[in-house]
Amino acid sequence: MLALIKIEWLKIKKYPAFWWMLGIVALTYPGINMMTYYGYLKATSGKEMVNNAARFLLGNPFSFPESWHSVAYFSSFFILLPSILVIMLVTNEYTFRTHRQNVIDGWSRAQFITSKLFDVLIVSVIVTLVYLLVALSFGLYADSTATNRWAEQLQYIPLFLLQTFAQLSIAFLLGYMVKKAFIALGIFLFYYLIVENIAVAYARFKMNDIGRFLPFEISDRLIPAPAFFSHFGKDAKTSYDHAVSAIPEHILYTILLTSVIWLICYRVHKNRDL
Amino acid sequence: MQPVLELNGISKAYGSIKALKNVSYEVPEGCVFGILGPNGSGKTTMLSIILDILKPDTGSFAWFGDPGSPETRKRIGSLLETPNFYQYLSAVDNLNITHAISGRGNTADIDRVLEIVKLSERKKSRFSSYSLGMKQRLAIAAALLGDPQVLVFDEPTNGLDPVGIAEIRELIKELARRGKTIIMASHLLDEVEKVCTHVAIMKRGTLLTAGNVDEVLANEDIVEVSSNDPEKLFSLLANFPGCTNMKQDGKLIQLFFPVGTARLEDVNRFCFEKGITLNLLLVKKKSLETKFFELTND
Repeated sequence: MLALIKIEWLKIKKYPAFWWMLGIVALTYPGINMMTYYGYLKATSGKEMVNNAARFLLGNPFSFPESWHSVAYFSSFFILLPSILVIMLVTNEYTFRTHRQNVIDGWSRAQFITSKLFDVLIVSVIVTLVYLLVALSFGLYADSTATNRWAEQLQYIPLFLLQTFAQLSIAFLLGYMVKKAFIALGIFLFYYLIVENIAVAYARFKMNDIGRFLPFEISDRLIPAPAFFSHFGKDAKTSYDHAVSAIPEHILYTILLTSVIWLICYRVHKNRDL
Repeated sequence: MQPVLELNGISKAYGSIKALKNVSYEVPEGCVFGILGPNGSGKTTMLSIILDILKPDTGSFAWFGDPGSPETRKRIGSLLETPNFYQYLSAVDNLNITHAISGRGNTADIDRVLEIVKLSERKKSRFSSYSLGMKQRLAIAAALLGDPQVLVFDEPTNGLDPVGIAEIRELIKELARRGKTIIMASHLLDEVEKVCTHVAIMKRGTLLTAGNVDEVLANEDIVEVSSNDPEKLFSLLANFPGCTNMKQDGKLIQLFFPVGTARLEDVNRFCFEKGITLNLLLVKKKSLETKFFELTND
């Protein structure tokens, strides 16, 4: 196992796209959260009653412990960035034909898939570390009086990791099956940004929310919109409570879907001509 | 003795195209085994199967007496079809990956194999910056890593310049001298003839013949003779006992005999007694090229 991780690290550490992705993620995660944070500050900064009331009612979404949740939610919009990397990492193997060479040199076919699983895991962990740092910084910075509450809602860290791993696994499956980087990326973008969003929104109103079983939506619901949004009326509160209570169920679905994805990869790779 | 590689009735089809039809043979230890065949005859498909890149439809193969497995592949240095490396990594980094996966070689050995293929000066350059010949050299270096007992080369001299081709030929001979078993596919007959001890000839997925080079090639003896008066010599030799066929090409006359029956002394004495002195007399092996065309032409 450790040997596989070491070999994958040899492949990744000198891959320029990896460092580009990491750099972009390291800019984007703080960036998007900063924008939201300033939006919040602006809405609540006045001296008037309304502003005060807003501050009191909404709470600060970036102070502890809400920071773990809010930063996870906003950062997860950008799963696209590591997805591109994951797709490149698998399609590269086809382009360089190293998926054959690795086996010729002595890997089993299952080891090849396991090595790629580790790739996805490595990227997920790195992305989660970036998230962790950003959430921690916001928590410390946004409200120093709340730092003693840092240990609440820590569950969003493993949830973020699971969500990232699950969604990157979908990206991997696409790259693995399609083999061509640009086609896989095209399908990924089109489906992730357009198709599923429309389908989920439509299903929410017309089809008893069946859209929650779509591949990305399954794990999207691991991290519902922050509590902050639940203060805009009674409906919002109900739907927030509902979303939070559905998390355990979605953990199960996510694990199931992700397992199926990897099982498919192992099965296909076992018998296909390389 | 346990053969290094044994194929039993391997067949493989791509859709309606039958790439391999019931191919069986053995590769004895310590031989240089050449696999010949025109383009599309199934050479690479066969090598891909024994390296577990392709799955055969039927049949089986064994390395060192065991069914093919990751463990057996780790003992074999292979170059299949094209040099397959990570474009953004240097020669050394790529060989580090080969080493990490196969367990063959070590840091010092990486330098050694790069020295053999003359890539030492460019060992830190990215693979993508290499010329075709350099890429091929790196692939050979990767196969040599850890000095494996068995090597599989698919068209090893692809993309190399004439000097490079000669170097690789020497390298293969040197490896053979050291007792390595080498399995080599090529459509360059000359290449195979110069280095191989055994040969298999394939055509459209069928194995036409396989065995020791001398056995495959020598189904008749050819004696070449010449004198100052070739016409007279030709008419004289027409009566030579045991000769099955004759050909004249300018001053050169070829006499064909069944395998093992040509005796140069007899030819010499025969001519001398009839008053003709020969200025050339030798037994010629049939060239692989002649044999190859004989077998593969319809």
